[in-house]
This record gives sequence, structure tokens and C-alpha cells, in this order.
Amino acid sequence: MKLVAIVGTNADFSYNRILLQYMKWHFRMAADIEILEVKQLPPFNEDLPDSEQTEVWRFNTKINNADGVIIATPEYDHSIPAALKSGLEWLSFNRDTMKEKPVMIVGVSYGTQGTSRAQQQLRQMLLSPDLNSDVLPGNEVLIGNAAKVFDKNGFVTDINIVHNLETSFTAFNKFVKSNMRYLERGDDNMTEPHISSDAKIQFRTGSLSIKEIQQIFNTLPFEIDFIDANDEFSYFSDKPNREHVRHTAEIGEPVQQCHPPKVWPIVKSIFDSFKLGTQDHVERCLPLNGHKVWINYFAVRDENGKYLGTMEFTGNVGHLVTLVKEGKFDGFPEGADATTGASKHDDAEPEQPAGPAMNAQADATTGASEHSDEDEDKTE
Amino acid sequence: MKIEAIVGSNKKLSYNRKLLQFISKHFTDDEIHINEIKDIPMFNENYPAGEDDHDPELITELAKRIEDADAVIIGCPEYNHSVPSALKSVIEWLSYRIHPLGGKPVMIVGASIHPQGSSRSQTHLREILDSPGVNAEVFPGNEFFLGTAKKAFDENGDLINQGTVGFLEQCFDGFRIYADEIHKFK
Repeated sequence: MKLVAIVGTNADFSYNRILLQYMKWHFRMAADIEILEVKQLPPFNEDLPDSEQTEVWRFNTKINNADGVIIATPEYDHSIPAALKSGLEWLSFNRDTMKEKPVMIVGVSYGTQGTSRAQQQLRQMLLSPDLNSDVLPGNEVLIGNAAKVFDKNGFVTDINIVHNLETSFTAFNKFVKSNMRYLERGDDNMTEPHISSDAKIQFRTGSLSIKEIQQIFNTLPFEIDFIDANDEFSYFSDKPNREHVRHTAEIGEPVQQCHPPKVWPIVKSIFDSFKLGTQDHVERCLPLNGHKVWINYFAVRDENGKYLGTMEFTGNVGHLVTLVKEGKFDGFPEGADATTGASKHDDAEPEQPAGPAMNAQADATTGASEHSDEDEDKTE
Repeated sequence: MKIEAIVGSNKKLSYNRKLLQFISKHFTDDEIHINEIKDIPMFNENYPAGEDDHDPELITELAKRIEDADAVIIGCPEYNHSVPSALKSVIEWLSYRIHPLGGKPVMIVGASIHPQGSSRSQTHLREILDSPGVNAEVFPGNEFFLGTAKKAFDENGDLINQGTVGFLEQCFDGFRIYADEIHKFK
């Protein structure tokens, strides 16, 4: 189970942040909890251009990919802090990020009330039509006297509070797993393909079972993503330790949603050129996760040239680079591939596309590499 | 009465601003000054980072005007059944280091493009203004909800429905008496 936990204050020091860090540690066997800070978001204003809100986009993506959300709220003037309210406004203005998302509310205060009034208002806000969240009923986590509850290492010292947290979190775990979106999506553990794994597919050049196809794709030293002809993200190979971590929640999403607004025009131009047929391949070299990563976009076409989609083919080529440096290919003829291939088949020349197409490809490749900036690195 | 009115929205187009503009125009016996909150930074305990603790200049100015006024009117939109963060942020500033709303008579009005006219938001705002850090004297009853606000104003910015104007006048008469009583009590 993957959860996002939102720190509901922009203050530098916050017991609500400490509580979420404690929950992340305490419930690590049950859930992978990622902590997000509302401080990262700009103050909400309808008049700000949405396309420039990269941090809001990032929040939206992370919450979309999570099975549930925990919100830790302080209490300011009997309500939630403006900084948290502003975050909720971003997530509900022209977006339905929180729609049907299971939400658990917790809160810590210095006083005895433990943010009870703020939590009451937060429940009402989350149930408003624009947010439309599935708020965990009952199960109140109201932690008062914060300064006495946590020790200097951030551990909860009161066993009754630990029990209250455990009871509520167990209820939330069950609540998340009964959520419709979770049921429709299934668990992230996709070891089995959907139709019978014995089914064989007959290709012109042989046959493979569904299971074999799945495992071949997962075993390739390159990871594969497929965007279908309708620009929907329709598949990713389940390769271990992927460079681009994908989530099953993204399957079926318009591919535009998988990219930050700033990067999208460049990606779109690649898809457009594939659809037009002006080029078939764009490659980029990027440092990712400390690796030398080679990213390729290939237009996938049927035998008549009709566009079926785009395959993103990505892998860590550090090993290949090392082999080259070690001289493993020294003395091999230059351009060996084309020449050998041609002589074997006794063909004069491999077919070349016309001149303009070659130029277009060169241009697009340059264009793509220009935006190999950290923006892309962080968000893909 | 000398009244400071606060537009509870940071939007360019706000029907709450239009409502307050109408109020300031209509009640000529009162001196009503309209305050905008758009440029006030988001409340943060640690603002400004790395400097001596102090409030933003715009907040200090607003607080001064509120202290000099007899009463405050807030025009409150509704976002997610509650108070917009932009307005909540201002109230947080006005209840952190300084407390200019303490003991100050406050009237809440609200407009929205939906029929409810910000009713849920106003209920939250009452709770917020009633909290010990703010301690405002909120005018009870007299709920002024201007629903379907897109159709409520004519081209001069005047409220079209005379019944609505009548109810607003009734609320205002009550508010003047209430504010007087509060000041006597102090």
C-alpha cells in the first residue's frame, strides 16, 4: 500500500511533521508513506496560470499514484492553517486529485484539544463536492500536550497514544483496501497477466505464451513503456529497478498527464512527428539516478506504416560505456552493422529514407536533448 | 460609523468585492474603506526567513486601520465549503503577534455564484472569528447570503433586487446598534 502524508503547516518546526515521520516509521511494514510539505506550494490564486504550477502538478501526480492520503493538521484560530487550505484549493480547482481518495486526518497541538475544531472543519471541507474525498469515519487522532508526547528522537512516549494510532491506522488500512479505486486497480503486485498464461500467440516467426511474453519484456535489460495511438499510456514492463518508476495508477491516463506542463510541448512534438511519419526515432542521453541512461522513443507501426503508438525504450548503458572504454570493440570495422548485414544478404545498400526525413530526425534529436534538464530528471 | 471592509478573495473578478463596493456606495452615512488582500503574503510563523520577527508591512497597515475603525465588514467567498485560504491567512496574521480584531464588531456578508451564497463558509468564518486568538465580536443572526451573484448586479454595480437591498439595510441598522452597544460595553 502506498500512501502520501501531507504536513498541514508551513512552519519550520512542527509536531505534526514529527507525528507523520513517526507514522512513516511505525507503519513501515504496512505501507510505504511519502511525506509532502504544503510549504512547497504557492499561495492559491485562481488568476495564476495553471501551466506554470509545476509543484502543484507534482503533488497531483504523487497523490494520484497513492492509494490514500494522511493529513496532519495543526489548529490556527479553530480551523486549519491557511497554508493547508491553500493546498486543498489547488487540488480541487480544475483538478479532482482528492476525488474518492481515502483520507485519514490526524493532528497534534500544544494544548489539550489536539486540533479537534480544525479537524471538524477539515472533514467538512474534504466532503465538499469539489474535493469529494472518502474521509475515514470515526477514528479520531487528537494528540494534545505535544511537547510531552514526543521524546527528542521523535518517538511517542505515551502507550495509549500509540494504541490509538495503531487502531486508527488499522481501520484506515482496511478502509483504503475497500475503496473502489483500489479494487478496480488491483494491488501493485502484478505477477500474473490477466488472461490465461497458457494461451499461445502465433507470430509469423514462431509462438510465445502470454506468460513468456510478459517475462521476456520484464527480463530485457531495457525498460519499455508504450503509449498507444490515442496518446494514452497503456503499458510498462515490470522490470526490476526501473530508471523511470511507473505506477499502475497511470495506466490509461492521457500521456500529457505523465509529463510536467513545461516539458509537454517538446514531447508532443515528438508524437506529432511520429504520427506524421517525418521520423521514427528520437534518442536522448540523460544522467538519471546516478546512471548513464539512454532513452529512445520509437514509432511503432503496422506493416502498412500506420501508427500504432510510441515505445519508450530506456536503459542504463553504463556497462556498454565501460566495455567501449576497456577497448573491447577496438579494431572492429567502423559501421560494421550495416556492412556485415548487407554483405550477408548480398544486398547492395540498405534502404535509406529520403533526405528531408534524415534532416528532420537530426533536428528533433537535437531539440530533445536540449531539454534534458533536471526538470525532466526529477519528474519522470 | 467608520468601517473597514475586507474583500475575502484574491481574485481579479470577485462578486464579494462588487458587494462591498455597493455597500460603501449605498450607505452614505458611514465612512467605508475597502481593503484588498491579494498582495499580503501567506501566513508563516517563520516569515520573514532569517530576519527579525515582524509582520508584513501590509498587515501592519491593515491592523492600524482596523484599530482606528468602529467596525469591520468581511465579504467572504466560499471555497470547498469553507473560507478561502487567502482570507484565512490574513486572519492568522491578525491573531499571531497583534490582535486588532479583539473586541471589534464584525459583520459577515458573502456572495457566491451558486444559490447558497457562501452559507457554509460564513459558518466557518464565525467559528474562526470567535476563537480566542481573534476574539472578534461577531454580529449574531442577520445572515446575508447573496446567491447567484452573476445576476445580482446591474451595469452600475447596484443590486437589482430591491428586496435584497431592503434586507441589507435592515442588517446594517442592526449592526449599527450592535456596534454601539459593544463600544458602550467596552
